[in-house]
Amino acid sequence: MRDRQSGKSTSVLGRAIAVAAAMLGFAATSGSAQVAGGELVLAQSANPPSLDAMTSSSESARNINMNIFEALVAIDENVDPIPMLAKSIEASDDLLTYVFPLREGVLFHNGKEMTAEDVKASLERYREMGATRGMLDKVKEIEITGPYEVTFHMSEATPTFIEGFSSPRAPAVIIPAEEAAKPANEIEIIGTGPFRFVEFVPDDHVTLERFDGYVPNEDFQGATGFGGKKTAYLDRAIYRIIPEAGARVAALEAGEVQWADQIPVPAAKRMMSDETLNVYEARQWAFMTFIMNWNLPPTDDVNFRRAVLYAIEPEEVMAIATEGFYDLNHGWQYPGRTYNAGDIGKEIYETAHPDKAREFLAQSDYAGEEFLILTDPNYAEHSRAAVVLAGQLNAIGINAVVKQHDWATVLKIRHSDEGWNGWTLMQGLEPFLGPYGMAAKMTGDKTHMRGTDPVFDEAYDRLITGKTVQDRQQAFADIQTAIYDLVPQIKLGDVGRMQAGSARLKGFRPFRAPRLNDIWLED
Amino acid sequence: MTGKAQAHSAAMASAWGARARLGLGMALRHRSIRVGGVLFGFVVLLAVFADLIAPFDPNKNNFRALLSAPDAVNIFGTDAFGRDILSRVIHGTRLSLLVGLLVVVATGVLGVILGTLTGYLRWLDGPVMRVMDGLMAFPGILLAIALAAVLGPSVANAALALTITFTPRTARIVRSSVLVLKEMPYVEAARACGASHTRLVLKHILPNALPPLIVQLTFVFSISILAEAVLSFMGVGPPPPTPSLGNIIAEGRSYIQEAPWVALTPGIAIAMSVLGLNIIGDGLRDTLDPRLRNL
Repeated sequence: MRDRQSGKSTSVLGRAIAVAAAMLGFAATSGSAQVAGGELVLAQSANPPSLDAMTSSSESARNINMNIFEALVAIDENVDPIPMLAKSIEASDDLLTYVFPLREGVLFHNGKEMTAEDVKASLERYREMGATRGMLDKVKEIEITGPYEVTFHMSEATPTFIEGFSSPRAPAVIIPAEEAAKPANEIEIIGTGPFRFVEFVPDDHVTLERFDGYVPNEDFQGATGFGGKKTAYLDRAIYRIIPEAGARVAALEAGEVQWADQIPVPAAKRMMSDETLNVYEARQWAFMTFIMNWNLPPTDDVNFRRAVLYAIEPEEVMAIATEGFYDLNHGWQYPGRTYNAGDIGKEIYETAHPDKAREFLAQSDYAGEEFLILTDPNYAEHSRAAVVLAGQLNAIGINAVVKQHDWATVLKIRHSDEGWNGWTLMQGLEPFLGPYGMAAKMTGDKTHMRGTDPVFDEAYDRLITGKTVQDRQQAFADIQTAIYDLVPQIKLGDVGRMQAGSARLKGFRPFRAPRLNDIWLED
Repeated sequence: MTGKAQAHSAAMASAWGARARLGLGMALRHRSIRVGGVLFGFVVLLAVFADLIAPFDPNKNNFRALLSAPDAVNIFGTDAFGRDILSRVIHGTRLSLLVGLLVVVATGVLGVILGTLTGYLRWLDGPVMRVMDGLMAFPGILLAIALAAVLGPSVANAALALTITFTPRTARIVRSSVLVLKEMPYVEAARACGASHTRLVLKHILPNALPPLIVQLTFVFSISILAEAVLSFMGVGPPPPTPSLGNIIAEGRSYIQEAPWVALTPGIAIAMSVLGLNIIGDGLRDTLDPRLRNL
C-alpha cells in the first residue's frame, strides 16, 4: 500500500519508514558470492538528452543519472518513499512543516561533504528549472535549520507531498551548492551516488566509474528501489547508445554488451533458451496511450474525440504495437493498485463500437479534414500503434493520416498547438508512481492535451489534498470517469518491457532504471 | 503544307521508324538486354498488375498471425502487423518503380534542357554548371536524405529529392555531348546552309546526344530504386502504412533472425529490379556506342 494516512505525527511517519526499511529483506546480494571489479557494458536505445538530472525527465537520462545522483527521498522496491540523503522525514501534525535531518559524512564525487547549504541550493535550483518542479509548488520556503538539517514550510497541507517529492521522473537530486548556481545543462556532473561520471560521447557512450568515497546508508540492511544501503561492486560501467533493436540483440549475443534494454519480444523469446543469457520480463512497464490535442480541429470537438474513443479496438492495437506482450486494461491505474478505479470505462474500452462512433462523428463538426496522428519510429510501439489506429479510424470515415518524425521532433511538435491531433505515447513512470503523475498531465499549465477543464482541476485538487485514502480514491475515480467522457487521452492497454543480460551478470533485478549497485559480473 | 513537304515528312518518319526498328532489333540481339529485360520485365509486370496479382490487401492487419512463417496462405509469410509480405512487396515494387520512373522522366527532361542550353549557349555554361557542381559536391544519397527530411515524408517529395540529386549528373553528360556535337562538320554544314539554332539543336545535335543519355537514364532508374529504398529505410520515404521496399526492410531488420522473410523478400525484389536495369544499361551502352558494338 503506497498511501500515507494524513495527519500522522512526525514520529509515526518516521518510525513507519524506519520499520519498513528494517523489516524488508532488501539484501538481494545476501548469500551470494559477490565479485568486485569488472566492466559492465549496457546498451540502451537513445542518447541522454542531458545528464543534468534535474532538468531531464527522459528515460535515457534516468537510466544513467540514478546511479550518479541521489535525492533526499527515494522510492523503495515497492514504490514507497524512503529517506536517502535525509536521515528521516519528520512531518508536523498539520503537514505544514517537514524537517529533513541529513545524513552526515556523505561525500560528493569531488570529495566535498554534503551539508544543508548544498541541499537548499539544489532544491532552490530545482524550483527554478526542475523538469517536474510542480512537485515543489506547495513548498513556501526551504529553510536551513542546522548544518545538517533543512525544513520545508508548506503553503498548504498536502498529504501526498512526500510521494511526489520521491519521484525519480526528474529527481530533485542534491548537487554541490557551487554547481547549483549554474544554468541548466552547464553543471559539472557531480553527485553523491555510488558511481561517478567519467565521460559522455554523444551518440556513442557514457562512462561511469565506481566512486570509492561512496558512503552507504547504514540505516538499511540492503539496497531497495533507488535507495537503501547500496554497494558498488563494478569498477566501471559503459552505456553504449545503440538505437537499433536488432543491433542491441546482436551486441548482447556477441558478448559486446552484457545488458541490453528494449529487446524485441520475438528475440527475447528466442533468447530464453540460451543458457548464456538471462531475459527479464517487466510486465507492467507502461501504459500505451493516445493523446488528443484539444486546441486543433477536429479534436477540439468533444464529440469528435468521443467518436475516436468509440472507434478503437484496443486488442488489435495492443497485440500489434507490443508484439504480443501486453495486457488489456481500461483503468488508469494498474490492477490491484490502491487507486484502481474499478470498472469505470470498461464497457467503452473493451471493444470497438463503430455505430456509436459514427453517431458521435455525425454530431461533431467534422468535415473530412485530416486527423493527424503524430508518432515516432524510435519507439517502435508508438509507430505500430499509430498505424493500426489510423486503419481503425479510417474505417469509420475519419481521414486519419500518420505523421512520423524522429522522437526529438515529435517532442517539439507536441508542445505546440499545431501539427497534430493525436499522439501515441507510452507512459511508464507516471502510472508506476501512482495516480498523481497521471492526473497531473491533465491539469495545470502543461497538460498533455494542451487544454484544461475545471472537472480535472477540481478532481486533481481533491486527489492531492484529500485527507483520507477514500477521499483520494474517489477523486481519482472521478478523474477516470471524466477521461472516458471528455477524452483528453485514450487508454489502449498495458505494455510490457523485455530486457536481457549475460548470465555472468548477477544480482540484477529490473526496475525503472538499471541499477549498477549490488550487481556484479561472475568470472 | 505542300505536297513536297508532306512527302519529305513521310520520308523522314519512315526513316526514323526504320532506324528505331533497326535499333530495337540490334538491342534485342544483345544477350545482356534480353536477360535484363526478362528480369526487369517480370518486376514491371508485378508492379503494373499489382492489384490483380497481390493475394491480399497490403495494409490488412491480422493480429493473430504476427510474423507467421511462409505457408500455403502467406507464401512469403507475414510481418509484425500480420500483413501479407508478398502483397506488400508487390505494391512496394509498384511504388519503387513509380518513383524511379518519375525521377527518370524529370531528370531526363531537366538534364536535357540544362545540358543543351549550357552546352550550346556558352554564356549560360558558367553560372548553371557552378550550381550543378555545387549540388554534385554533396554525396548523392546524403543530399537526397537531407532534402527528403526537409520536404517531409511522401512519394512526391522522395521523387523530387532524387530528381534534384541526379539532375546535375545527367545535365553534365548531355552538356559534354552537345559541346562535342556542335563542333562536328555536319553541324557546321547545316549552320552554313542557314539552319536556325532551334533546328540545329533539335534536329542535328540532340538526336545524336541521346545514346549516352539513354544509358545514363537506365542507371538513374536503378539508382533511384535503390535510393528510394534507402529513403524509406531511413523513415523519410512514403509514410506508413504505405508499403515501399525500403520500409518493409526497415520493419524487418529487428526480426532478421526470427523472421528473415520480412527483410529478405523486398531485398530480393530490389536486387532483381536493379540487376535487371543495370544489365539492360550495359547492353544499351554496348549497342549504342559504335566503338563497343563489335567488341
